[in-house]
Amino acid sequence: MAEIIIDIEHLSKVYEMGEEQVFALRDVSLQIGNNEYVAIMGPSGSGKSTLMNMLGCLDTPTSGLYTFKGQNVRTMSDDDLAEIRNREIGFVFQTFNLLPRATALKNVELPLVYSGVSADKRRERAEAALDSVGLGDRKEHKPNELSGGQRQRVAIARALVTSPSIILADEPTGNLDTKTGQEIMAVFEQLWLHGKTVVLVTHEEDVARYARRIIRVRDGLVESDTVTT
Amino acid sequence: MIRSSEFAESFRIAVASLRANLLRSVLTTGGVVVGIFIVVLMGWLIRGLDSVWEQTISIIGRDMIYIDKWNWAGGRNWRLAESRKDVTLDQVMALADRMESPEYVIPMTRQWGGSISYGSKSLRTSIVGTDSDYGATPAGSILDGRFFTSVEDQQSSNVAVVGFGTAKTLFPDESAVGKTIKIRDIPYRVVGVIEKRGFLFMDFIDQQVFIPLRSFRAAFGFQGRSFSAAIKAGNERMLDVVRAEAVGTMRVIRNVPPHKEDDFAVNEMEAFDEQAKSIRFWIWVVGIGLTVLAFIVGSIGIMNIMFVSVTERTKEIGIRKALGARRSSILMQFLVESTFLCLFGALIAMPVAQIVVAAIHTIATSVYDFEAASAVSILIPLDLLGIAIFVSIIVGILAGIIPAFRASRLDPVEALRFE
Ligand SMILES: Nc1ncnc2c1ncn2[C@@H]1O[C@H](COP(=O)(O)OP(=O)(O)O)[C@@H](O)[C@H]1O
Ligand SMILES: [Mg+2]
Repeated sequence: MAEIIIDIEHLSKVYEMGEEQVFALRDVSLQIGNNEYVAIMGPSGSGKSTLMNMLGCLDTPTSGLYTFKGQNVRTMSDDDLAEIRNREIGFVFQTFNLLPRATALKNVELPLVYSGVSADKRRERAEAALDSVGLGDRKEHKPNELSGGQRQRVAIARALVTSPSIILADEPTGNLDTKTGQEIMAVFEQLWLHGKTVVLVTHEEDVARYARRIIRVRDGLVESDTVTT
Repeated sequence: MIRSSEFAESFRIAVASLRANLLRSVLTTGGVVVGIFIVVLMGWLIRGLDSVWEQTISIIGRDMIYIDKWNWAGGRNWRLAESRKDVTLDQVMALADRMESPEYVIPMTRQWGGSISYGSKSLRTSIVGTDSDYGATPAGSILDGRFFTSVEDQQSSNVAVVGFGTAKTLFPDESAVGKTIKIRDIPYRVVGVIEKRGFLFMDFIDQQVFIPLRSFRAAFGFQGRSFSAAIKAGNERMLDVVRAEAVGTMRVIRNVPPHKEDDFAVNEMEAFDEQAKSIRFWIWVVGIGLTVLAFIVGSIGIMNIMFVSVTERTKEIGIRKALGARRSSILMQFLVESTFLCLFGALIAMPVAQIVVAAIHTIATSVYDFEAASAVSILIPLDLLGIAIFVSIIVGILAGIIPAFRASRLDPVEALRFE
């Protein structure tokens, strides 16, 4: 395997719901290497999003070990986690999660604001990222002036702009029609071909098929982990 | 560490949010607007009072000492003063004779509420009997005509010098000089008008009418009357020397045994300073009270609106955190926003305050027709505006700290789920 980016061992996440304990993840162990293209599959409520939030350092596990590029994530402070998210991780969400009042360009610039990049450089890099997802002519548009597919491209550009180690996408085609979904999947394919590491969460077989490795989860457990060709 | 890119972003967000919620912002800054308004107005008022006061006192002269039966300052010493023997004219003249250090020692006595009239107009005011030296002091400086002379004093001439206020009342549209007024039904010829000196509670100074001592005796008599010695030291540095000499000499003249306290009062302009200080103090108390109240109301309003803002933007906070915003980034974002709101309030308040200040200034100068008013600026001093801005920044930070802190602690996953 190539350089290991993500290494989790015996990871569990428990939500306390009053008296009841909800095990969103139970004793999950897996590794993801550089330039892998992984789909995390499973029915609704199986723990996919929880796992992805964990991988993306948005959430911390109840127990277990998480090592990101050799760093122990569990002992990190909130600000350290923010720093990792900023530099190493690019998120793509099902509902796009763009800032509604900001233009495409400003949305894409946002992560760079938090890494202290100067305004000129920000603009330059955000424009390049938008160009790379084919939205060079929509830079000054606000999200509500863009189609769903275009919004998701903006979100992908935003995920790319910091040159992160890994792109995490949670149901990126969930809010798109089939054709647009395929176009978005083509973008991820391109990213992977250009050397990016992509982790994709989905409950659709059609979407998962794009990946080169499929991890199936059910009830917070890893059911299977297969490499496809 | 706060990055400049984040600070600029916070600023941009604050501006955008203000523009998006303009009406709401204007309404919530109401308390701050009032607070800043009061701060500026109060500051200006105190400044104005101070400079007018300084002018008033300096016209009369800080180097004046008044030896008198009565203490100017003290209500508490009233009974004590009452029990003192009157200061006689002979004692004052003896004092004038023996003292070496002062520029002038001027005898004075006063009839409170003496009636004077001109034609059909009449009024009651303080009639002062004094000698011609009074005209040589700054307090007797003449606007129009002249002070009476020592010859007129010797001859007990019926001549009067009127204060600025009295002249205005009796002769609103004409010159007072040369006119004949009646004091206790005795005709007096007005020979001069004294410059305006008083302001606010010192207004009474300008109502006085001055006549020669001998003529005063003819009009009112010296029986049962206490005199005072107005002593002009010459300059402020001489004050201590002159005071010591005056007290020492007066004790000898009035046969005060060494172990006894003075049986007379030594009055100085400082007694009036006390009065100015207390006015100043009350402006402060009222002003600070109102300001604090306004700022409390204002900060509650701003805090409230910031809580609303944090709630409205929970999702946005989640997004920003996912993209790498640290706690401090979010904290700063909302602190900048609340501070910006307060500054916006200050921005509204300052022109309003300036308009009110200009109006007060215009009205006050026309009512008082007083040169000292020119010492008060019609423009709000820049440092007061600086203080106002500083205060609004502090209030903004205080009002925003709790909502901003709450925003900074939001869990990114929860925040992202928020709709
Ligand atoms: N904040 C939470 N509080 C309580 N239970 C939660 C929370 N988040 C997720 N869960 C539960 O954890 C399980 C996994 O959720 P999730 O990871 O969102 O599933 P998926 O993304 O696969 O649909 C579900 O049973 C869900 O109800
Ligand atoms: Mg999910």
